[in-house]
Amino acid sequence: MMNATTSERLLDVKDLTIEIDTRRGPAVVVDGIDLYVNKGETLGVVGESGCGKSLTMLSLMRLLPNKIKVTKGTAKFDGRDLQKMSNGELRKVRGGDVGFVFQDPMTSLNPVMRIGDQICEPLIYHRKMSKKEARARAVELLRLVGIPGPEERLMAYPHELSGGMRQRVMIAIGLACNPKLLIADEPTTALDVTIQAQIVDLVKDLRAKLGMSVVWITHDLALIAGLVDRVAVLYAGTVVEDAPVDELYARPSHPYTRGLLSSIPKLSDAPASRLSSIGGTPPEPGRRPKGCPFAPRCPLAEAVCHERVPRLEPISGNSAHRAACFVVQRMQEAA
Amino acid sequence: MSAIPLSTIDTAEEPPVNLWRDAWQRLKRNKLAIFGLIVIVILAFTAIFGPYLTPYDYLSQDLASRNAPPSLAHFFGTDDLGRDVFSRIVFGTRTAFLVAVIVTFIAVVIGLLLGAVAGFFGNPFDRIIMWLTDVTMSVPNLLLVVVINASLKTPITKWMEAQYLATLNPFYRQTVWVDFLLVFGSMALISWPPYARLVRAQVLSIRNRPYVMAAQALGLSNWIVILRYIVPNALGPLIVSVSAGLGTAMVLESAFSFLGVGVNPPTPSWGNMISDGLRVWQHYPHLLAAPAAVLGLASVAFSFLGDGLNDALNPRGSK
Repeated sequence: MMNATTSERLLDVKDLTIEIDTRRGPAVVVDGIDLYVNKGETLGVVGESGCGKSLTMLSLMRLLPNKIKVTKGTAKFDGRDLQKMSNGELRKVRGGDVGFVFQDPMTSLNPVMRIGDQICEPLIYHRKMSKKEARARAVELLRLVGIPGPEERLMAYPHELSGGMRQRVMIAIGLACNPKLLIADEPTTALDVTIQAQIVDLVKDLRAKLGMSVVWITHDLALIAGLVDRVAVLYAGTVVEDAPVDELYARPSHPYTRGLLSSIPKLSDAPASRLSSIGGTPPEPGRRPKGCPFAPRCPLAEAVCHERVPRLEPISGNSAHRAACFVVQRMQEAA
Repeated sequence: MSAIPLSTIDTAEEPPVNLWRDAWQRLKRNKLAIFGLIVIVILAFTAIFGPYLTPYDYLSQDLASRNAPPSLAHFFGTDDLGRDVFSRIVFGTRTAFLVAVIVTFIAVVIGLLLGAVAGFFGNPFDRIIMWLTDVTMSVPNLLLVVVINASLKTPITKWMEAQYLATLNPFYRQTVWVDFLLVFGSMALISWPPYARLVRAQVLSIRNRPYVMAAQALGLSNWIVILRYIVPNALGPLIVSVSAGLGTAMVLESAFSFLGVGVNPPTPSWGNMISDGLRVWQHYPHLLAAPAAVLGLASVAFSFLGDGLNDALNPRGSK
């Protein structure tokens, strides 16, 4: 049973710790993160700025400068250890098995290259296609992501397209080699709301068509509610809670998740009432508290929270719903 | 008064904008740059076809009319051997362009490669390459060229002569090419560091652009990323610097020829003509004025074009 579930895991990150070399010595920015993505599943990774969402994903693919290093833990992709791969092997995984869509479509495309050539690039490089085959595939991809007149668009430069169109092109590039996993790093942050909805629908649609897994990194809990299967909530470089999306919204258990959810303004709120917020600020990298990183801001914090770091444990008898909180775990046991 | 004719509305359809067309539009508005461009085009045409069109051979001497002042028969007069100065300047244009283009090309290729490697891969490459540029720049240009020419020219010429005597292959008799080779080589050797620094600075800023990370996320190799994503985006400032560099190389070649370490007589070069003219300028000013004026015109043309390109390719930097 256990084996069956682990073999279905496409990406399995265990106890991953990432440090940045600073002038004052190494600073821990991601501390023992636990994450997994099952095959065909969409995982939402949620957290505020600087909590390590993008950093984790990018550093797994070795896309960050050398001074940011993984110092502990394992990360398996499709059963293979990413940390042990040579740069050449990892290069085949990037673009080949894992596609990326980045935050800012305005700057993520090479401004001096026609978009057709940019879509063809991974096809020629990874799939060894001829130029002609690659162009045919590029037209197919542009049609897939809903760009009208794909044949003409191949010849366009990025600045001739709107932001939404460019993000569709980015998605087309990310999907070019039929990846098993698409990592979307806040792909809608730079777009306006109507376009955001289009992109979310597009990814939903494509996932159903292509059967790939998606990791959607965002700080917008409301945006992903209808998109993802499971959510992992990150705080200060650790996963504080992960659960199937409905379960998380219905029964958020970690105090941070509850704080996040209650700080989303609702139309039913009384007019002119204060927006709810979580007091305090997240710890700076390198100045992490000794115990639970959320303890200094936590309304439920007890003595133990300041002393020891809680582990991510299943709660409410549902093994898919896990939280890293002593108080919640104790209350569950008592119940 | 009357309505705008329909045809003008039809042509209002915008051509697709891209960086280069945009830059060309801005360049066209800059009169000095266009002047420079026209002069350069004329000079380039002269360099390519001129020697076939001149009324006299650049070597043919007419000892009956030595040091003749400008006239209809000789536009710029004749020199102390009765050679037509105009024809020699025309041929000198070819020398100047040959030197400028080849030297700049070699220097840019070296600078581009070293600068890109230094900027992209960082230390230890960065440190070594920047150290190399600093060392090269710290040696006085003229001194280095003089040392190279003085120490290598004689052995190479001797070796060529020996080869000719041994093989009778006419290739080895052409010592003009040794001349050019040494001039090109030594000038390229002192000209690359500014290009390397420029490219490195560009690469350092472009390396952190999102599209470079996006290219790496596609698993492309470092060389593809450098050559297709970074270098094309770094070209703007480089083009400006190359345009100015061509003029500088021409002046530099003239300076070396003037000092006798550049192209050797009888191959005409503006520099050795200026050098010859300088000795007699009080009596025959046209012998100095003609080559000096052409050299001045050429270097001004290149720097006008360079300035114009600078404004055209950096829309944010210009008014």
